[in-house]
Amino acid sequence: MVNTKSIQFIIAKTFIFITVAAVCIVSIMLYNKFSNTAEKNADLNIQQVVEQVNYNLEIYVKNMTSIFDVVQDLIRKSSSVTNPILIEQLKSIMKTREDLISIALFTKQGKLVFNTPELPMRSNTQLERQSWFEAAMERPDQLSFSSPHIQNLFKTTYKWAVSISKQASYRAGAGQPDQGVLVIDMNFKTINELSKQVSFGKRGYIYIIDSIGNIVYHPQQQLIYAGLKYENLERVLTYAYGSFQDNTNDESKLITIKTVNPIGWKVVGVAYRDEIVTAKSELNTFILWFLVIIILFVLLVSIIVSARISQPIQNLAKLAKSIGKGDFTVPITTIGIYEVDQLSNRFNMMLRQIRQLMDQIIVEQEAKRKSELDVLQAQINPHFLYNTLNSVIRLAERGETREAVTAITSLSRFFRISLSKGKNIITVKEEIEHVRHYLIIQTIRYKRKFRYTIDIQDEALDCMTMKLILQPIVENAIVHGIEMMQEEGMITITAAIVEDKLMLQVTDNGLGMPPQILKSLLTKQVRSERGSGVGVKNVHDRIQLCYGQGYGLEFESELEEGTTVIIWLPIVRNEREDE
Amino acid sequence: MKRMNLFLVAILSLSFSLSSCSIQTGVMSDNRFVIDLIVKMNQGDYWNTLRSGAEAAAKEFNVKLQFLAPNYEDDISGQIELVNQSIQNRPDAVILAASDYMGLAQVTDRIAYHNIPIISIDSEVGSARVKTYVGTNNYEAGQLAAKRMIGLIHKSGQIAVMNFVQAAKNASQREEGFQDYVARFPNVRVVDIQYSQSNQRNAEEITRRWLAQYPSLDGIVALNAESSIGVGREIQRSGKGGKVKVIAFDSPPETMGLLQDGVVQALILQNPFNNGYLAVKNAVDIIEGRNVPERMDTGIKLIDLDNMLWPENQKLLIPFVK
Repeated sequence: MVNTKSIQFIIAKTFIFITVAAVCIVSIMLYNKFSNTAEKNADLNIQQVVEQVNYNLEIYVKNMTSIFDVVQDLIRKSSSVTNPILIEQLKSIMKTREDLISIALFTKQGKLVFNTPELPMRSNTQLERQSWFEAAMERPDQLSFSSPHIQNLFKTTYKWAVSISKQASYRAGAGQPDQGVLVIDMNFKTINELSKQVSFGKRGYIYIIDSIGNIVYHPQQQLIYAGLKYENLERVLTYAYGSFQDNTNDESKLITIKTVNPIGWKVVGVAYRDEIVTAKSELNTFILWFLVIIILFVLLVSIIVSARISQPIQNLAKLAKSIGKGDFTVPITTIGIYEVDQLSNRFNMMLRQIRQLMDQIIVEQEAKRKSELDVLQAQINPHFLYNTLNSVIRLAERGETREAVTAITSLSRFFRISLSKGKNIITVKEEIEHVRHYLIIQTIRYKRKFRYTIDIQDEALDCMTMKLILQPIVENAIVHGIEMMQEEGMITITAAIVEDKLMLQVTDNGLGMPPQILKSLLTKQVRSERGSGVGVKNVHDRIQLCYGQGYGLEFESELEEGTTVIIWLPIVRNEREDE
Repeated sequence: MKRMNLFLVAILSLSFSLSSCSIQTGVMSDNRFVIDLIVKMNQGDYWNTLRSGAEAAAKEFNVKLQFLAPNYEDDISGQIELVNQSIQNRPDAVILAASDYMGLAQVTDRIAYHNIPIISIDSEVGSARVKTYVGTNNYEAGQLAAKRMIGLIHKSGQIAVMNFVQAAKNASQREEGFQDYVARFPNVRVVDIQYSQSNQRNAEEITRRWLAQYPSLDGIVALNAESSIGVGREIQRSGKGGKVKVIAFDSPPETMGLLQDGVVQALILQNPFNNGYLAVKNAVDIIEGRNVPERMDTGIKLIDLDNMLWPENQKLLIPFVK
């Protein structure tokens, strides 16, 4: 039910998208950088370890070589191999080295000359066919390291050994020195110790093979010998130095190879890829968690932030909606954000104004309707008609035919202008005509209780005016000003253009009004029972409604002196008649 | 706003604690399983080699291995007692080399009754509840020994057989294989079959009697390691080495020495290290619900002076690098 076009959604979406994208990119970059470095370091580390083992082995081989040289030297210099001094010397060499099994000298025919420790020979040793013997026979001057084999020469326990052999000269007794084969057997003790400690990760290890692939050292040597485990030696043997990936047995292994000089053995490091990259997978999980948490966090924050931003706007929108439905009474409360507050303040102000205008319109409309009704009433004022007709009847009874005719004629004209085809706006001339007929009728009614004069500027004659504005004022003047007078009344009507306005003026010399009544004239609805029913206020209101605040009625009055009513109207030329 | 800050701090700290959790890796757990290895005898190179094979596997598969064996191979009741003890400890699996085919059958059923998988090693036991057998094809081993002996005595002569424990399945199978082969040669006569009870002294004693009883004895076939040593020793002592041909079983150093000295003409080599290793491996497979073959033949090899120094044979003869 989320509106995908809401501000909250858009802000949240954008925020989440940007942040997540940024975090992802940074994570990926970090991860790549880290994992590359980790892998490189691991590879380098493995290489260094293998190199170290290789170095140690080379030193060991050098050691063994020098021991061999020493032994050979001792034998060569000794007057006889049976010399007890020689035997003592050899025995002490044996004692100092735990990794030596035996020292033995054979004739070229394979007959034992002497050995240390002194043990009886086994029969059927087939020593002439053993590799160390053959190597010494083939390459007299070269020290050779044999493959690991079972030492079967002497009557002692069978042991795995590496034989170091070379031809050596010796003296059996007095006389010419003979050439024989000197062999020193060594066990794997030191080699094992050099290699045992090394491990890569939990399962990685190193092993050592000789130049043709016989295992010299392996952490699982027994299993290999028993044929239960295999090392993939084929490819290893093609390398003298270097490393490669071995993907056999479904497991990716990094094989690192170094060759031990000069004997051609190889130190092989085996490291499991998945262990090298444990750091990588740890990093992986870390980054994953990091991402999840960041995303959750961003989700939360963005929801909160977007809600904070959009909530006031949403509220505003909700209010606008209810205002749209016509409810102007809801006040807008302001919360938080400056811009939104500004917006709601303005909105409130606008709302207030609208409310005022609406009220005003209602009042005005009401007034207009009423005044129009009044005017309508005035147009066919039955009371006036009745009074006038009564007067005419009386005139007729008295035989004053001329008077009667005048009255009837004026009445007719009066009503004609009153109605004036339904038009509201007529010329001043017509309006004056209207009031003149009214005055004629009234003078007949009131038996010439008053006189009147009408004085109109020519320029004013063409101006337009609302109809029926003079008549109520004149009626007022007669009813309130003159009717009660003892002497003859006088009503003066003038029309002139003053200060760019049309000024109509009705002056009487009647009773006048006290100032308080004068003031209340335009504010109170004073309705005279006898008049046309159209009050002065009505006239004033109509003018203002039609022409605006600048126009309307003015009063001047003095008790016993008379009253002057001034009507201000705008100058509107008669256009319609021109057409 | 304050509250929100507090909230953020809470989230951040949560995330850090989570991430630090995820970095910790599991420490090495204790042994996953306990496996009891019950063999015929707690001494002798053959059993020691078998045990070290089993231990190598136990180490590799993170298993606690309990080695149980009576002092002598003919101590059938002792072995039954050990099996009963083992059942009480409720191991995850039992590996059994039965000294007596029928004698151990009932107790083997009891093991199975307690839902403990049982693996037969070296010699079979008369129970249908055994999951798998790891060891030598003993019938073939007997035939191989016979074949070489027949060759050595040129298809005619008297031979004696030094067996070890009468009721042991591997013993009877080897004897059967031997007899079946020899039966094809009418000029070859098996003068006697004796049981040393896997005791070197017994074997020496019996050999001495044979030499006295059958002066024209052409050959002796010893059907297990202990018997072989006894026979070889006595032949060497009597000075009849080479004259009375000897076929031996297994490769204790002493037997190898006798081979080199020409007293023993050939060795039938089993693969005790592999037996032990594969039995434990199979046990782990069974515990973890994987299928294992019904029988696992670890192979035999005939070793004589000519081939004893072949590199691959050296590895079989002395599987230990010390």
